[in-house]
Amino acid sequence: MISNKDKKIVKDALWDNNPITYQILGICSALAVTVQMKTALVMSVSLTLVVAFSNVAISLLRNYIPSKIRIIVQLSVVSALVILADQFLKAYMFDVSKQLSVFVGLIITNCIVMGRAEGFAMQNPPFRSFLDGLGNGLGYSCVLIVVSVFREVLGSGTLLGFQVVPQAFYDAGYVNCGLMVLAPGAFFLLGAVIWVQRSISGYVEQ
Amino acid sequence: MINKNSTVYTFGFALVVCFACSLSLAVVSEGLRPQREINEELDVKKNILKAVELKTPVTPSMKSQEILELYDAKIEEKVISLDGQMIGDKKPSEIKDGEELYPLYVYKENGQIVSYAFPVYGKGLWSTIYGYLALEADGTTVRGVTFYKHGETPGLGGEVEKVWFQENFKGKKIWDAKTQTLHPVAVVKGKVADKVSKTEQKFYVDGISGATMTGQGVTDFLDRWIRVYEPYFQNIRNTQTP
Repeated sequence: MISNKDKKIVKDALWDNNPITYQILGICSALAVTVQMKTALVMSVSLTLVVAFSNVAISLLRNYIPSKIRIIVQLSVVSALVILADQFLKAYMFDVSKQLSVFVGLIITNCIVMGRAEGFAMQNPPFRSFLDGLGNGLGYSCVLIVVSVFREVLGSGTLLGFQVVPQAFYDAGYVNCGLMVLAPGAFFLLGAVIWVQRSISGYVEQ
Repeated sequence: MINKNSTVYTFGFALVVCFACSLSLAVVSEGLRPQREINEELDVKKNILKAVELKTPVTPSMKSQEILELYDAKIEEKVISLDGQMIGDKKPSEIKDGEELYPLYVYKENGQIVSYAFPVYGKGLWSTIYGYLALEADGTTVRGVTFYKHGETPGLGGEVEKVWFQENFKGKKIWDAKTQTLHPVAVVKGKVADKVSKTEQKFYVDGISGATMTGQGVTDFLDRWIRVYEPYFQNIRNTQTP
Protein backbone atom coordinates (compact mmCIF):
# COMPACT_ATOMS: atom_id res chain seq x y z
CA MET A 1 0.00 0.00 0.00
CA ILE A 2 2.89 2.33 0.71
CA SER A 3 5.13 2.54 -2.31
CA ASN A 4 8.79 3.43 -2.26
CA LYS A 5 7.94 6.86 -3.53
CA ASP A 6 5.64 7.37 -0.55
CA LYS A 7 8.37 6.31 1.84
CA LYS A 8 10.73 8.74 0.21
CA ILE A 9 8.26 11.56 0.84
CA VAL A 10 8.36 10.94 4.56
CA LYS A 11 12.08 10.24 4.69
CA ASP A 12 12.92 13.36 2.73
CA ALA A 13 10.97 15.55 5.09
CA LEU A 14 12.62 13.96 8.09
CA TRP A 15 16.19 14.20 6.90
CA ASP A 16 17.28 15.60 3.53
CA ASN A 17 14.58 18.22 3.32
CA ASN A 18 13.84 18.78 7.00
CA PRO A 19 11.68 21.90 7.36
CA ILE A 20 13.78 23.38 10.15
CA THR A 21 17.34 22.37 9.44
CA TYR A 22 17.17 22.45 5.64
CA GLN A 23 14.39 24.88 4.77
CA ILE A 24 14.87 26.96 7.95
CA LEU A 25 11.11 27.33 8.41
CA GLY A 26 9.17 27.51 11.65
CA ILE A 27 12.11 28.91 13.63
CA CYS A 28 10.02 31.36 15.64
CA SER A 29 7.94 28.72 17.38
CA ALA A 30 10.97 26.41 17.65
CA LEU A 31 12.62 29.06 19.83
CA ALA A 32 9.57 29.84 21.87
CA VAL A 33 8.30 26.46 22.98
CA THR A 34 11.51 24.52 23.61
CA VAL A 35 12.35 25.74 27.12
CA GLN A 36 10.61 22.65 28.49
CA MET A 37 10.19 19.30 26.83
CA LYS A 38 6.51 19.08 27.74
CA THR A 39 5.50 22.17 25.78
CA ALA A 40 7.74 21.09 22.89
CA LEU A 41 6.00 17.70 22.75
CA VAL A 42 2.52 19.20 22.81
CA MET A 43 3.49 21.73 20.17
CA SER A 44 4.99 18.95 18.02
CA VAL A 45 1.87 16.83 18.21
CA SER A 46 -0.41 19.81 17.49
CA LEU A 47 1.66 20.98 14.54
CA THR A 48 2.02 17.49 13.06
CA LEU A 49 -1.74 16.93 13.24
CA VAL A 50 -2.51 20.34 11.77
CA VAL A 51 -0.01 19.97 8.94
CA ALA A 52 -1.15 16.45 8.06
CA PHE A 53 -4.86 17.22 8.09
CA SER A 54 -4.61 20.59 6.40
CA ASN A 55 -2.66 18.85 3.63
CA VAL A 56 -5.43 16.27 3.29
CA ALA A 57 -8.15 18.91 3.26
CA ILE A 58 -6.36 21.09 0.73
CA SER A 59 -5.54 18.09 -1.41
CA LEU A 60 -9.19 17.00 -1.48
CA LEU A 61 -10.22 20.50 -2.49
CA ARG A 62 -7.33 21.08 -4.89
CA ASN A 63 -9.36 20.55 -8.06
CA TYR A 64 -12.14 22.86 -6.90
CA ILE A 65 -10.21 25.76 -5.42
CA PRO A 66 -10.32 28.77 -7.75
CA SER A 67 -6.69 29.78 -8.25
CA LYS A 68 -7.43 33.44 -7.55
CA ILE A 69 -8.38 32.80 -3.94
CA ARG A 70 -6.34 29.68 -3.24
CA ILE A 71 -4.10 31.23 -0.57
CA ILE A 72 -6.99 32.59 1.45
CA VAL A 73 -8.81 29.26 1.17
CA GLN A 74 -5.71 27.46 2.45
CA LEU A 75 -5.46 29.97 5.25
CA SER A 76 -9.11 29.43 6.25
CA VAL A 77 -8.70 25.69 6.37
CA VAL A 78 -5.47 25.92 8.35
CA SER A 79 -6.85 28.43 10.83
CA ALA A 80 -9.98 26.38 11.40
CA LEU A 81 -7.85 23.32 12.19
CA VAL A 82 -5.55 25.29 14.48
CA ILE A 83 -8.46 26.73 16.44
CA LEU A 84 -9.88 23.24 16.80
CA ALA A 85 -6.54 22.05 18.21
CA ASP A 86 -6.48 25.04 20.55
CA GLN A 87 -10.00 24.29 21.80
CA PHE A 88 -9.08 20.70 22.57
CA LEU A 89 -5.97 21.80 24.43
CA LYS A 90 -7.99 24.32 26.46
CA ALA A 91 -10.47 21.62 27.39
CA TYR A 92 -8.15 18.75 28.18
CA MET A 93 -4.66 20.17 28.80
CA PHE A 94 -5.41 23.55 30.32
CA ASP A 95 -2.02 24.16 31.98
CA VAL A 96 -0.07 23.28 28.87
CA SER A 97 -2.33 25.43 26.76
CA LYS A 98 -1.63 28.35 29.09
CA GLN A 99 2.11 27.85 28.75
CA LEU A 100 1.89 27.62 24.98
CA SER A 101 -0.28 30.79 25.08
CA VAL A 102 -0.27 32.44 21.69
CA PHE A 103 2.00 29.92 20.04
CA VAL A 104 -0.77 27.43 19.32
CA GLY A 105 -2.61 30.18 17.50
CA LEU A 106 0.59 31.06 15.73
CA ILE A 107 0.72 27.62 14.10
CA ILE A 108 -1.49 29.37 11.56
CA THR A 109 1.42 31.56 10.54
CA ASN A 110 3.98 28.76 10.78
CA CYS A 111 5.55 28.75 7.33
CA ILE A 112 5.69 24.97 7.31
CA VAL A 113 1.91 24.57 7.24
CA MET A 114 1.19 27.03 4.47
CA GLY A 115 4.34 26.00 2.61
CA ARG A 116 3.29 22.36 2.45
CA ALA A 117 -0.29 23.22 1.52
CA GLU A 118 0.77 25.46 -1.35
CA GLY A 119 3.89 23.55 -2.35
CA PHE A 120 2.72 19.96 -2.10
CA ALA A 121 -0.97 19.40 -1.38
CA MET A 122 -2.15 21.57 -4.27
CA GLN A 123 -0.49 19.16 -6.75
CA ASN A 124 -0.80 15.77 -5.06
CA PRO A 125 -3.51 13.29 -4.09
CA PRO A 126 -4.77 13.16 -0.47
CA PHE A 127 -2.90 10.13 0.85
CA ARG A 128 0.43 11.31 -0.47
CA SER A 129 -0.25 14.78 0.93
CA PHE A 130 -1.07 13.25 4.28
CA LEU A 131 2.29 11.47 4.30
CA ASP A 132 4.06 14.65 3.31
CA GLY A 133 2.36 16.54 6.14
CA LEU A 134 3.15 13.79 8.59
CA GLY A 135 6.78 13.69 7.48
CA ASN A 136 7.23 17.42 7.76
CA GLY A 137 5.48 17.53 11.10
CA LEU A 138 7.71 14.77 12.42
CA GLY A 139 10.79 16.45 10.96
CA TYR A 140 9.86 19.60 12.84
CA SER A 141 9.10 17.57 15.97
CA CYS A 142 12.47 15.79 15.98
CA VAL A 143 14.38 19.05 15.95
CA LEU A 144 12.10 20.55 18.60
CA ILE A 145 12.54 17.56 20.88
CA VAL A 146 16.33 17.50 20.52
CA VAL A 147 16.55 21.21 21.26
CA SER A 148 14.12 21.03 24.18
CA VAL A 149 15.95 18.09 25.82
CA PHE A 150 19.19 20.08 25.85
CA ARG A 151 17.48 23.27 26.97
CA GLU A 152 15.57 21.69 29.80
CA VAL A 153 18.45 19.58 31.12
CA LEU A 154 21.07 22.32 30.87
CA GLY A 155 18.79 25.23 31.70
CA SER A 156 16.64 23.83 34.51
CA GLY A 157 18.31 20.52 35.40
CA THR A 158 15.04 18.67 34.78
CA LEU A 159 13.53 16.53 32.04
CA LEU A 160 9.76 16.50 31.58
CA GLY A 161 9.64 18.12 35.02
CA PHE A 162 11.69 15.42 36.80
CA GLN A 163 14.98 16.36 38.38
CA VAL A 164 17.81 14.73 36.40
CA VAL A 165 20.81 16.71 37.61
CA PRO A 166 21.53 15.26 41.07
CA GLN A 167 21.42 17.54 44.09
CA ALA A 168 25.06 16.60 44.80
CA PHE A 169 26.10 18.53 41.69
CA TYR A 170 24.43 21.69 42.98
CA ASP A 171 26.02 21.19 46.39
CA ALA A 172 29.38 20.96 44.62
CA GLY A 173 28.78 24.34 43.00
CA TYR A 174 27.10 23.40 39.72
CA VAL A 175 24.78 26.11 38.38
CA ASN A 176 22.04 25.81 35.76
CA CYS A 177 22.91 27.55 32.52
CA GLY A 178 20.62 30.59 32.39
CA LEU A 179 21.35 31.15 28.71
CA MET A 180 19.52 27.95 27.82
CA VAL A 181 16.27 29.27 29.25
CA LEU A 182 16.43 32.33 27.01
CA ALA A 183 15.87 32.47 23.26
CA PRO A 184 19.58 32.86 22.36
CA GLY A 185 20.28 29.45 23.90
CA ALA A 186 17.86 27.93 21.39
CA PHE A 187 19.63 29.72 18.56
CA PHE A 188 22.99 28.24 19.51
CA LEU A 189 21.51 24.77 19.85
CA LEU A 190 19.63 25.05 16.58
CA GLY A 191 22.84 26.13 14.88
CA ALA A 192 24.62 23.14 16.36
CA VAL A 193 21.85 20.76 15.24
CA ILE A 194 22.02 22.13 11.69
CA TRP A 195 25.82 21.86 11.73
CA VAL A 196 25.78 18.25 12.88
CA GLN A 197 23.08 17.26 10.42
CA ARG A 198 24.76 18.91 7.47
CA SER A 199 28.16 17.46 8.22
CA ILE A 200 26.59 13.98 8.26
CA SER A 201 24.53 14.50 5.11
CA GLY A 202 27.36 16.29 3.34
CA TYR A 203 25.04 19.05 2.22
CA VAL A 204 26.81 22.04 0.66
CA GLU A 205 25.20 25.40 -0.02
CA GLN A 206 25.02 25.92 -3.82
CA MET B 1 -17.55 21.54 -16.34
CA ILE B 2 -18.11 24.82 -14.57
CA ASN B 3 -15.74 27.66 -15.23
CA LYS B 4 -13.59 27.70 -12.10
CA ASN B 5 -12.40 31.21 -12.75
CA SER B 6 -15.82 32.81 -13.04
CA THR B 7 -16.72 35.36 -10.39
CA VAL B 8 -19.85 33.49 -9.40
CA TYR B 9 -17.95 30.26 -8.80
CA THR B 10 -15.24 32.05 -6.81
CA PHE B 11 -17.78 33.71 -4.55
CA GLY B 12 -19.77 30.51 -4.21
CA PHE B 13 -16.68 28.55 -3.26
CA ALA B 14 -15.59 31.14 -0.72
CA LEU B 15 -19.05 31.06 0.87
CA VAL B 16 -19.05 27.28 1.15
CA VAL B 17 -15.58 27.24 2.73
CA CYS B 18 -16.54 29.94 5.23
CA PHE B 19 -19.73 28.16 6.14
CA ALA B 20 -18.06 24.78 6.60
CA CYS B 21 -15.26 26.27 8.73
CA SER B 22 -17.54 28.28 10.96
CA LEU B 23 -19.95 25.41 11.42
CA SER B 24 -17.25 22.98 12.54
CA LEU B 25 -15.72 25.56 14.89
CA ALA B 26 -19.06 26.41 16.43
CA VAL B 27 -19.94 22.76 17.00
CA VAL B 28 -16.61 21.91 18.62
CA SER B 29 -16.52 25.06 20.73
CA GLU B 30 -20.03 24.43 22.07
CA GLY B 31 -19.31 20.76 22.64
CA LEU B 32 -16.21 21.46 24.71
CA ARG B 33 -17.67 24.38 26.64
CA PRO B 34 -18.54 22.50 29.88
CA GLN B 35 -15.04 21.06 30.14
CA ARG B 36 -13.48 24.45 29.42
CA GLU B 37 -15.60 26.16 32.05
CA ILE B 38 -14.53 23.69 34.72
CA ASN B 39 -10.90 24.44 33.88
CA GLU B 40 -11.45 28.16 33.97
CA GLU B 41 -13.22 28.08 37.32
CA LEU B 42 -10.39 26.02 38.78
CA ASP B 43 -7.88 28.47 37.34
CA VAL B 44 -9.70 31.41 38.93
CA LYS B 45 -9.77 29.73 42.33
CA LYS B 46 -6.12 28.77 42.06
CA ASN B 47 -5.28 32.39 41.34
CA ILE B 48 -7.27 33.73 44.25
CA LEU B 49 -5.38 31.31 46.49
CA LYS B 50 -2.12 32.47 44.96
CA ALA B 51 -2.92 36.16 45.40
CA VAL B 52 -3.74 35.88 49.10
CA GLU B 53 -0.44 34.08 49.79
CA LEU B 54 -1.73 31.07 51.67
CA LYS B 55 0.27 29.97 54.70
CA THR B 56 0.45 26.54 53.04
CA PRO B 57 0.75 27.41 49.35
CA VAL B 58 -0.79 25.47 46.49
CA THR B 59 1.81 23.14 44.98
CA PRO B 60 1.86 22.12 41.31
CA SER B 61 1.37 18.47 42.25
CA MET B 62 -1.99 19.15 43.92
CA LYS B 63 -5.03 17.55 42.32
CA SER B 64 -7.97 19.73 41.24
CA GLN B 65 -10.13 18.24 43.97
CA GLU B 66 -7.61 19.18 46.69
CA ILE B 67 -7.39 22.72 45.37
CA LEU B 68 -11.16 23.10 45.42
CA GLU B 69 -11.32 21.76 48.99
CA LEU B 70 -8.55 24.10 50.10
CA TYR B 71 -10.40 26.98 48.47
CA ASP B 72 -13.65 26.13 50.22
CA ALA B 73 -11.86 25.81 53.56
CA LYS B 74 -9.90 29.07 53.42
CA ILE B 75 -11.81 31.53 51.27
CA GLU B 76 -15.14 33.18 52.05
CA GLU B 77 -16.91 34.64 49.05
CA LYS B 78 -18.57 37.99 49.76
CA VAL B 79 -20.26 40.70 47.77
CA ILE B 80 -19.97 44.41 48.46
CA SER B 81 -21.77 47.44 47.07
CA LEU B 82 -20.26 50.64 45.72
CA ASP B 83 -20.69 52.45 49.05
CA GLY B 84 -18.68 49.77 50.82
CA GLN B 85 -21.50 47.78 52.42
CA MET B 86 -21.30 44.02 52.58
CA ILE B 87 -24.36 42.37 51.05
CA GLY B 88 -24.79 39.47 53.41
CA ASP B 89 -26.70 36.81 51.57
CA LYS B 90 -25.21 37.06 48.09
CA LYS B 91 -22.44 35.11 46.37
CA PRO B 92 -20.18 36.53 43.63
CA SER B 93 -21.65 34.05 41.13
CA GLU B 94 -25.11 35.53 41.76
CA ILE B 95 -24.16 39.05 40.68
CA LYS B 96 -26.18 39.93 37.61
CA ASP B 97 -24.99 42.07 34.71
CA GLY B 98 -25.51 45.74 35.35
CA GLU B 99 -25.70 45.42 39.12
CA GLU B 100 -23.34 47.74 40.98
CA LEU B 101 -22.06 44.93 43.16
CA TYR B 102 -18.54 43.61 43.42
CA PRO B 103 -17.05 40.30 44.58
CA LEU B 104 -14.68 40.18 47.52
CA TYR B 105 -12.77 37.11 48.65
CA VAL B 106 -11.82 36.95 52.31
CA TYR B 107 -8.99 34.68 53.39
CA LYS B 108 -9.30 33.49 56.98
CA GLU B 109 -6.84 31.44 58.99
CA ASN B 110 -8.33 30.02 62.23
CA GLY B 111 -11.20 32.49 62.06
CA GLN B 112 -8.82 35.46 61.81
CA ILE B 113 -8.99 37.57 58.63
CA VAL B 114 -5.61 37.51 56.93
CA SER B 115 -6.30 39.04 53.56
CA TYR B 116 -8.90 40.46 51.18
CA ALA B 117 -8.70 39.70 47.46
CA PHE B 118 -10.67 41.21 44.62
CA PRO B 119 -10.60 40.91 40.83
CA VAL B 120 -8.77 43.53 38.80
CA TYR B 121 -8.87 43.71 35.04
CA GLY B 122 -8.50 46.14 32.20
CA LYS B 123 -6.76 46.93 28.95
CA GLY B 124 -3.06 46.27 28.56
CA LEU B 125 -1.66 47.01 25.13
CA TRP B 126 -3.29 44.35 22.97
CA SER B 127 -5.71 42.63 25.28
CA THR B 128 -7.64 42.64 28.51
CA ILE B 129 -5.48 41.52 31.43
CA TYR B 130 -7.24 39.64 34.22
CA GLY B 131 -5.91 39.28 37.73
CA TYR B 132 -6.52 39.42 41.46
CA LEU B 133 -5.15 41.88 43.96
CA ALA B 134 -4.93 40.87 47.60
CA LEU B 135 -4.56 43.33 50.46
CA GLU B 136 -3.43 42.64 54.02
CA ALA B 137 -6.06 42.76 56.74
CA ASP B 138 -5.05 46.40 57.43
CA GLY B 139 -6.46 47.44 54.06
CA THR B 140 -3.38 49.47 53.12
CA THR B 141 -0.69 46.99 52.09
CA VAL B 142 -0.56 44.73 49.04
CA ARG B 143 -0.25 41.11 50.08
CA GLY B 144 -0.02 39.65 46.61
CA VAL B 145 -1.16 39.94 43.04
CA THR B 146 -1.68 37.59 40.13
CA PHE B 147 -2.28 38.24 36.46
CA TYR B 148 -3.45 35.03 34.96
CA LYS B 149 -5.11 35.72 31.64
CA HIS B 150 -3.94 38.09 28.96
CA GLY B 151 -2.98 38.30 25.31
CA GLU B 152 0.12 40.47 25.60
CA THR B 153 3.31 39.77 23.64
CA PRO B 154 5.26 36.91 25.23
CA GLY B 155 8.59 38.17 26.55
CA LEU B 156 7.41 41.80 26.67
CA GLY B 157 3.95 42.62 28.05
CA GLY B 158 3.48 38.90 28.67
CA GLU B 159 5.94 39.22 31.56
CA VAL B 160 3.02 40.38 33.74
CA GLU B 161 2.27 36.71 34.35
CA LYS B 162 5.82 36.05 35.56
CA VAL B 163 6.74 35.60 39.19
CA TRP B 164 9.38 38.36 39.24
CA PHE B 165 6.85 40.99 38.17
CA GLN B 166 4.15 39.86 40.59
CA GLU B 167 6.63 39.57 43.48
CA ASN B 168 7.34 43.29 43.04
CA PHE B 169 3.91 44.18 44.37
CA LYS B 170 4.28 42.47 47.72
CA GLY B 171 4.41 44.90 50.62
CA LYS B 172 3.64 47.95 48.48
CA LYS B 173 1.15 50.49 49.81
CA ILE B 174 -2.09 51.82 48.38
CA TRP B 175 -2.72 54.25 51.23
CA ASP B 176 -0.52 57.16 52.21
CA ALA B 177 -0.68 57.22 56.00
CA LYS B 178 1.07 60.59 56.22
CA THR B 179 -1.34 62.58 54.06
CA GLN B 180 -4.27 60.22 54.74
CA THR B 181 -4.98 59.86 51.02
CA LEU B 182 -5.39 57.00 48.64
CA HIS B 183 -2.27 56.32 46.57
CA PRO B 184 -2.85 53.22 44.40
CA VAL B 185 0.26 51.24 43.60
CA ALA B 186 1.61 52.05 40.11
CA VAL B 187 4.02 50.60 37.58
CA VAL B 188 6.85 52.95 36.62
CA LYS B 189 8.70 53.08 33.34
CA GLY B 190 12.08 51.60 34.22
CA LYS B 191 13.34 50.83 37.70
CA VAL B 192 11.74 52.26 40.82
CA ALA B 193 15.13 52.93 42.40
CA ASP B 194 16.08 55.28 39.53
CA LYS B 195 12.76 57.01 39.03
CA VAL B 196 11.15 57.62 42.38
CA SER B 197 12.35 59.37 45.53
CA LYS B 198 13.07 57.18 48.56
CA THR B 199 9.96 58.16 50.48
CA GLU B 200 7.67 57.43 47.53
CA GLN B 201 9.12 54.06 46.55
CA LYS B 202 6.59 52.13 48.56
CA PHE B 203 3.87 53.12 46.08
CA TYR B 204 5.65 51.96 42.92
CA VAL B 205 6.86 48.77 41.26
CA ASP B 206 9.48 48.16 38.54
CA GLY B 207 8.22 48.30 34.98
CA ILE B 208 8.84 45.78 32.22
CA SER B 209 11.35 46.97 29.66
CA GLY B 210 9.83 47.02 26.20
CA ALA B 211 6.32 47.00 27.61
CA THR B 212 5.66 50.54 28.79
CA MET B 213 2.12 50.55 27.45
CA THR B 214 1.24 47.32 29.21
CA GLY B 215 2.60 48.78 32.46
CA GLN B 216 0.53 51.92 31.91
CA GLY B 217 -2.54 49.75 31.40
CA VAL B 218 -1.86 47.84 34.62
CA THR B 219 -1.42 51.12 36.53
CA ASP B 220 -4.71 52.45 35.14
CA PHE B 221 -6.86 49.47 35.95
CA LEU B 222 -5.32 48.90 39.37
CA ASP B 223 -6.14 52.53 40.14
CA ARG B 224 -9.71 52.07 38.94
CA TRP B 225 -10.39 48.92 40.93
CA ILE B 226 -8.68 50.11 44.09
CA ARG B 227 -10.98 53.14 43.98
CA VAL B 228 -14.04 50.93 43.52
CA TYR B 229 -13.19 48.98 46.67
CA GLU B 230 -11.95 52.03 48.58
CA PRO B 231 -15.22 52.73 50.49
CA TYR B 232 -15.07 49.24 51.94
CA PHE B 233 -11.42 49.45 52.93
CA GLN B 234 -12.02 52.95 54.29
CA ASN B 235 -14.45 51.39 56.75
CA ILE B 236 -11.90 48.75 57.70
CA ARG B 237 -9.20 51.35 58.33
CA ASN B 238 -11.57 53.48 60.36
CA THR B 239 -12.50 50.64 62.63
CA GLN B 240 -8.86 49.74 63.16
CA THR B 241 -7.39 53.16 63.97
CA PRO B 242 -8.31 54.08 67.50
